[in-house]
Amino acid sequence: MNRSLPLIILAMAILAFATTLLVIVPKFQIGHEPAPAGLHPYTAQQQRGRDQYVALGCVYCHSQQPRTPDQAPDAERGWGRASVAADYAYDSPHLMGTMRTGPDLMNVGARLPSMGWQLSHLYQPRAISPWSIMPSYPFLFEVKDKAAPGDTVVWLPAKSAPPGKVVVAKPEAIDLAAYLIALDRTYPVPSTAIRDDGYAKHGAGR
Amino acid sequence: MSDDRRPVDERFEPYEPRRRVPLPVYWIAIALAIWGTLTLWRDAHAGFIAGRQRGDEAAADTRRAAAPGADLFLARCSSCHQPDGSGIAGAVPPLAGSPLVKADPSVVVRILLRGIDGPITVAGQHFDGHMPSFASVLDDDQLARIATYVRARFGDNASAVSPSDVAAARAWAAGHPGPWRGGDEIRAALMPLLEPQPAYVASLIAAPDPSILALVQHGTGGGWSCASCHGDLGEGHGDAPRIAGLSSPYLLAQLRAFAGGARTSDAMAPVATSLADAQKIALASYYSQLATPSASVPALQGALDRGEALALDGDSAKGIPACFSCHGSSGFGVAPAFPPIAAQQPAYTAGRLAGFARQAKQGSHALMPSVAARLDDADRRAIADYLATLPPVPTGTAPPAEQH
Amino acid sequence: MLTLGLFVVISFVVSLAALAALIWAISSDQFSFSQRQARIIFEPDEEGQLDDPTISPRNGRSTHGNIEPTKFDLLRSSIDASTARPVSVLIGSAVLWLVIGSAFGLIASLKLHLPDWLDTQAWLTFGRVRTLHLTLVIYGWLSMAGIGIAMWVTPRIFQAPLQSPTLAIWGTIFWNIGLVAGVIAIACGWSDGEEWLEIPWQIDGLLAIGGALCAVPLIRTAFTRNVEHIYVSGWYYLAALCWFPALFVIANIPGIFVGAEQATVNWWFAHNVLGLWLTPLGLGAAYYFIPKIIGKPVYSYALSLLGFWALALFYSQVGIHHLIGGPVPTWVVTLSIVQSVMMFVPVIAVAINQHVVVARNMWAFRASIPLRFISLGAIMYTAASFEGSLEALRSVNTVTHFTQFTVGHAHLGAYGFTSFVFFGCLYYMLPRITGRDWPLPSLIAAHFWLVVGGFSIYFVALTIGGWLQGEAMLDATRPFSASVILLKPFLEGRSVGGALMTLGHLLFAANVIAMFARGRHPASAEGSVA
Repeated sequence: MNRSLPLIILAMAILAFATTLLVIVPKFQIGHEPAPAGLHPYTAQQQRGRDQYVALGCVYCHSQQPRTPDQAPDAERGWGRASVAADYAYDSPHLMGTMRTGPDLMNVGARLPSMGWQLSHLYQPRAISPWSIMPSYPFLFEVKDKAAPGDTVVWLPAKSAPPGKVVVAKPEAIDLAAYLIALDRTYPVPSTAIRDDGYAKHGAGR
Repeated sequence: MSDDRRPVDERFEPYEPRRRVPLPVYWIAIALAIWGTLTLWRDAHAGFIAGRQRGDEAAADTRRAAAPGADLFLARCSSCHQPDGSGIAGAVPPLAGSPLVKADPSVVVRILLRGIDGPITVAGQHFDGHMPSFASVLDDDQLARIATYVRARFGDNASAVSPSDVAAARAWAAGHPGPWRGGDEIRAALMPLLEPQPAYVASLIAAPDPSILALVQHGTGGGWSCASCHGDLGEGHGDAPRIAGLSSPYLLAQLRAFAGGARTSDAMAPVATSLADAQKIALASYYSQLATPSASVPALQGALDRGEALALDGDSAKGIPACFSCHGSSGFGVAPAFPPIAAQQPAYTAGRLAGFARQAKQGSHALMPSVAARLDDADRRAIADYLATLPPVPTGTAPPAEQH
Repeated sequence: MLTLGLFVVISFVVSLAALAALIWAISSDQFSFSQRQARIIFEPDEEGQLDDPTISPRNGRSTHGNIEPTKFDLLRSSIDASTARPVSVLIGSAVLWLVIGSAFGLIASLKLHLPDWLDTQAWLTFGRVRTLHLTLVIYGWLSMAGIGIAMWVTPRIFQAPLQSPTLAIWGTIFWNIGLVAGVIAIACGWSDGEEWLEIPWQIDGLLAIGGALCAVPLIRTAFTRNVEHIYVSGWYYLAALCWFPALFVIANIPGIFVGAEQATVNWWFAHNVLGLWLTPLGLGAAYYFIPKIIGKPVYSYALSLLGFWALALFYSQVGIHHLIGGPVPTWVVTLSIVQSVMMFVPVIAVAINQHVVVARNMWAFRASIPLRFISLGAIMYTAASFEGSLEALRSVNTVTHFTQFTVGHAHLGAYGFTSFVFFGCLYYMLPRITGRDWPLPSLIAAHFWLVVGGFSIYFVALTIGGWLQGEAMLDATRPFSASVILLKPFLEGRSVGGALMTLGHLLFAANVIAMFARGRHPASAEGSVA
């Protein structure tokens, strides 16, 4: 421990070893998986919505990785089957998230496919769920006296609607809602699919 | 702090020339290494089990998705049209020898997509047509397979139908909502050479008010529509339940409960509150008459044999009565108090059972809460997945009234 | 799958073999290592005296605001003079980012229980404010303060003046420009979208250049040192300065990884930022300042060797425990879990070394606020690491994953450990750098008690609240809303704690500003000429 160079070389070698295990081998293993037939690349509109999701930081409160029934009741909550690596084949940046301040959104499109619901909820989550702590996103909407032709008017319960005005969704809001509705990974996956199976139990399942 | 209590000389500390690593550090390292090895073994084993489990599920999914036309026909069509395509005299038209089957492929496909609601004459026999639409429950590929099978077997080896044919028909059907209005409309639109058809009578099933259809498709004030969550035909998605074919009094009671707060749902409460009572009545009536094929498939990794046992026989050891003892044989429901549970979306069933269990914890002694309190997580998933495999309440059949 | 199972076994066996070899080497004295070398941080006769410039033991508090240089300070004056300017720039920037970063943290915390507050501007939405907080405190405050402290300590332990200090100043400038650009980009919604890596990769180059310009002087100093032995702090610093650039550059290369692969890279990086960057910076500082202030060497120098190499070996492989139960291969997750638990080995080694010397000299702990900060920080390193190892267990992780418990844990590491250590270091260093007493000494104790009290509230609230939140989410019979509703009072408690911490930072910043405003004492400026 009296020489700098060997110290630096050994330290970097250890990091290289870790990088091989944690990054390079998984990349080859995961990259080898074909995208499932039921999964489609994002359309231009969905991709714009996904960019909004990234820019607004939705990922800091919403995960996109349901767990297996052996571990947690995610499926019973309607969040869908446990996700596998191939489900994310078109995702960059990945948006798996690490927090569930709000519910998992991996299959929100299957669970809440209503564009109208999504827009109302983005404008004011507490109009729908009074207990919600999700931010409201009024800057994705316009409050007008009267809707112009072609405007997407957002329906709101009377207590949350601005009196005498209409709320109209900006294109950003519609893109974001289109992305959310596209989040539907309920197609079947092959038995070789990759995920963390460390919670599997004897005799559970079928 | 500023007063100086610093010992003047603390230098006489007996340092060893070389202090060894304390022995407990070694013991801890060895114990951790042993634990690590055990963990690796255990997780490798778990991975093996999960892989096998997923294999079984994938096989079932593949069977469902890639079923050849014959299997799809058996599952979806044969209970009415009969396995040999002969139909049921006076109730269901035959497929064998039907001119509709032999005609242009688009005819079969368009009927599958829209369904029929109106009188029809096939091979000289008159029928009250009530065929559900399969548009939202089968994909293009599956519809193409069914159509091909039906045409090949019952239409004198008529030509095959491709998924792109179905896609084209689907695009057309989007502009023609609702079922075919009996043979009359089919003849007028598709087959002018078809034998004369009886006139369409609107009153077979009370045709819904256009304003109710608008509500179903577009909601109030352009907001959330029923169809946007429950599907075009009320077949349900995820934890939005299947509502097609549930009894009208049951549906109405739920809508009123959502509005009044007796039943809680963040998504339903604002909707139910905004509906007038007349609209609630009309909607309940509309959905109770919808004959929609099942779109539910097991999705919760439930043990289907356990689910079947609970549904048919219950579990006397745990004090769980059979589901079907109240909800009717086959889970078709007993009006008005016991809704149909067959073909329900599994995430909804499981979530609803969990909700009842919560009510029991909160002190409810009502029937469902006390039953649900005895179900554990695996049981809820088993029942929900099993019910999802069952066929829905049959077309045009009202659930039998409760016997007293 | 068999071959991949083999992989994990091999990697675990390799790690264990390396650990065994290390222990063997230490116990059979292969490194010819002795307790004598632990004393390299002292000048002859310096050992055994409390060394704390925030109190002036010789003549009470001096009235004219200048510290009396001891004869040991004079011995080091040319070394300290070589680092004064770059370290001042680094610390000045770090404290600025600390204040701004904590303000954003407080806003984010408030927004979680006041969701309709400040909701009209996109840049003030929770997702951006929270990210601004993380970016500012990690890449602004912690990284720059850590580099600054390393830059001050390294020449001292090598007993050689800092080489090319101008490069370090340029490095700081580049780093600051990169940080400001990154923060503006995130506020405008331009983000790479992965946690800890939000700064757009197009801007990351500035940070990489800045970091490299700061690292070069330190590595050059290591090669021109005037002592044979490299003190333990030096190992941590040298390794960290090589690890971080490699991590940062690899993780930010765009277009190679997608989907689930990207998630493994993301967490490999994010955890290594803690394990191989902030932790070595904090531990290196603690290893220097704890014995230095007390005037006693660490308990067992041989243990520090075990602590260092075991940290490198195990900490580098723990990142995927952030994806337990997720869509990545079982074997990677299991590997990270096992290595997380193996982290007990280096943590215990460091804990024995640092806590025993403090425990035997509690008089110093009571007398010196810098030591109190640093030693409390070291205790929280032990606590955070133990908690982290337990959190990686599958049974515990099922509850804590996706909850505020994790946020509490992250702050125990990044705040309780590194920030506390750095506060103490800066209280010790700035009088030496400027030659002046702290201008507002009463604020030092106020700062200490505010952040200790605030952080206790913060941590307890999130730990309990997070655990309850996790249990609610695991119970299917409770709706998701139950987990949100029960959390609200704990989030409010967190805001109270966060507000106290932020207030403490303001007092600290006021002291630092007042100190720099008076300029450097002429005597120490002369020292730089000497």
